[in-house]
Amino acid sequence: MIIQAPVINKAVDRAGRGIPVADPHSVEPDHLTGFSRDSAKAQPVVLEVRDIRKSFRSGFLKRRIRGVEGVSFSVNRGSVFALIGHNGAGKTTIINCILDLVHADGGEVSIMGMDHRDPASRVEVGYLPERPYFFEHLTGRELLQFYARLLGMPKNRRASRIDEVLEMVGMTEFAGRRLKKFSKGMLQRMGLAQAILGEPKLLILDEPMSGLDPMGRREIRELLMKLKQAGTTIILSSHIVPDVEMIADTVGILKEGCLVAVQDLAEWNHDFSYTGELDLGDRRARVRGDGVADLRNLLNDCHRDAIPVLSLETRRTSLEELFMEISGGASVKREVVR
Amino acid sequence: MTGNIMALASSTFLETVRDRIFYLVAIFGFVMLSSTAILSPLTVGAQGKIMADVGLASMVVFGLLVVVFVGSSMVRKELDKGTIVTILSKPVGRREYLIGKYLGLNLTLVSMLAIMGLMFLLMLYLAPGSFSLRYLGAFYLTFLELTLINAVVVFFSTSVSPVLAAVFTLGVFTVGHLSQSIRDFGQLQEGVFQRQMSELVYYLTPNLEVFNLRGSVVHGTAVSLEHLVMATVYSVSWSILLLVVAGSIFSRKELRGE
Repeated sequence: MIIQAPVINKAVDRAGRGIPVADPHSVEPDHLTGFSRDSAKAQPVVLEVRDIRKSFRSGFLKRRIRGVEGVSFSVNRGSVFALIGHNGAGKTTIINCILDLVHADGGEVSIMGMDHRDPASRVEVGYLPERPYFFEHLTGRELLQFYARLLGMPKNRRASRIDEVLEMVGMTEFAGRRLKKFSKGMLQRMGLAQAILGEPKLLILDEPMSGLDPMGRREIRELLMKLKQAGTTIILSSHIVPDVEMIADTVGILKEGCLVAVQDLAEWNHDFSYTGELDLGDRRARVRGDGVADLRNLLNDCHRDAIPVLSLETRRTSLEELFMEISGGASVKREVVR
Repeated sequence: MTGNIMALASSTFLETVRDRIFYLVAIFGFVMLSSTAILSPLTVGAQGKIMADVGLASMVVFGLLVVVFVGSSMVRKELDKGTIVTILSKPVGRREYLIGKYLGLNLTLVSMLAIMGLMFLLMLYLAPGSFSLRYLGAFYLTFLELTLINAVVVFFSTSVSPVLAAVFTLGVFTVGHLSQSIRDFGQLQEGVFQRQMSELVYYLTPNLEVFNLRGSVVHGTAVSLEHLVMATVYSVSWSILLLVVAGSIFSRKELRGE
């Protein structure tokens, strides 16, 4: 387990035993600290978010509407953490708070040990916004040169690195074209290119697959897998759950601004049920069980006693089912904060 | 820090230049040529002065148009479209961002004024007996005035909509040229309130008449070095003050809603 939210124990329950959704207001920062200390032994914490709260003023009466409430989590180096939730659940707000694009009402965020309000904390951060938009009169290459300068990249390194990232996002042949002639998908790729330009240790992607065709989604997914293998820590938000399932190590499920569940996907992959049929010679027997240990025992027994396994089928709740169950099919619904 | 500001300034310059802003320069050339063709027959013996008068006034008007219409939407456009978030997700401070945008627009102004100035001098050169390098002083004062107006528009654009920023900036430009007159008029009033208000207007708005020596330059008086230095100090001081306040407002601004 590399990431945790203090409000959750284990969110999966395929047997219908109910999914614990804790009260988001009961967040105990000490809880989180203890957990982080354990996990920090394995990998250093790249991002730590503690109890952030954000509300917005809305409407004629300027009433305060809850954006996010008491969200805490930490992300260790080299892992992929995905925030999933309905539109308006608070994914983008959390990312904006992390990057100090909006000022949180309370809580703390540290990026690689530095306060997130310090611009220096973003030296090794790459960010792709939900709807990337750039200077439309610049060409793709000029845009990346601009960002390379902002990143303080040495002059002699810029050209080769820009070529590299253009190749990585499949935009080499369009590099000389002005951005105003780019399609949404091409802008998305350029957005990813500027995000990975500085070889960031922490990559924050807000809906990275948005605007891409199926082929483009696949390419970007593969690129993210490569970055993950290279040790880049990735935080992504998405409501395309199957994509998340393929990339993420851990998912955090948001509902109405609260982080209501955090699930380690590796752990969750071992949590399944199975049914099978064995050939006992004179008759056939159906077997069923839960979890990897149980299945391992069964297969060992069959191997030892030379019992042929005629069929074996595993079943686990899909991430999408889990998400729907936890989020309860809710759409945008915000509590007015008094 | 300097690297970030320079990167922002050069990208802003490139963006504004490619946004066909220099079409205004072509219009300026047209105005200069037209004024020569139309006014020359009417102004026997004063052709050069008329050309210089129209030319210098046109430089201010076209420069003002660029500053107000580009500057008022510059920051807001990036806020609305979201260009700003990828910039500020890099190690760039918000004050650096504002200064970079301000300098980028100043760079555009310098280029515009340089081209318009060359066209202006060329026209005077072609009119016998009109050419003089004393006009360089007037060009420089125009540049100082427009950089100050640029700081005013950046100040407003961090807190109000582009339309309001443009209106307020044009208001400051107008009042700035009248502030001395408003003060003098106020002093003639009997009411204390009127006198205090005129004083307030005088001190709260930059006195743009400091930069307006165009009339005397056209009539043959060169701008003194002392005046150029004082005008520079005045313009830079006001610009710094406005950018510091704008930076402070901008640092607290929420760059994204929900």
